[in-house]
Amino acid sequence: MSESTGQASEEAVPATVLPLEIIDKSIGNEITVLMINDKEFTGKLVGFDDYVNMVLENVTERDNEGTSTIVRKKMLLNGGHVAMIIPAN
Amino acid sequence: MSEAEIESSKTNPSTFLSDIIGSSVTVKLHNGVEYSGNLQSIDGYMNIVLDEGKEVVGNTISRTYGDVFIRGNNVLYISEA
Repeated sequence: MSESTGQASEEAVPATVLPLEIIDKSIGNEITVLMINDKEFTGKLVGFDDYVNMVLENVTERDNEGTSTIVRKKMLLNGGHVAMIIPAN
Repeated sequence: MSEAEIESSKTNPSTFLSDIIGSSVTVKLHNGVEYSGNLQSIDGYMNIVLDEGKEVVGNTISRTYGDVFIRGNNVLYISEA
């Protein structure tokens, strides 16, 4: 009896997935980062930390005046103003 | 890519910072102004010291400085020049 309930509760509780684990799955892939001030950055995610500061490669910057022609080879983006992270298509 | 390959190609922010010390960088602030120069020092707050700092507003160099200290709270990003 006690054995079976123990097993049942193990199955019922889903494994918790932390938000940062989701970001970790995007490492190596193209992402778009939306900032809180209507800016966005698109590039390959190569790393991040607990503050969601991100290291990105081949980054293009976009704001309400259009897309920048400059492609940044590698950058560290401050996580303080990040609103959303979206896998690029 | 295998998991091991992804792991080895990861560059976390702290690794990136130690990699770019001494190289030529561009720092963009939240107010849109950019500073480029040689990165002398950076810390966990993203406080930055550049030498031969050039202030770029829009696309034109507006001023040049010998040494520049940038307080970290203003930094939007730092990139390899």
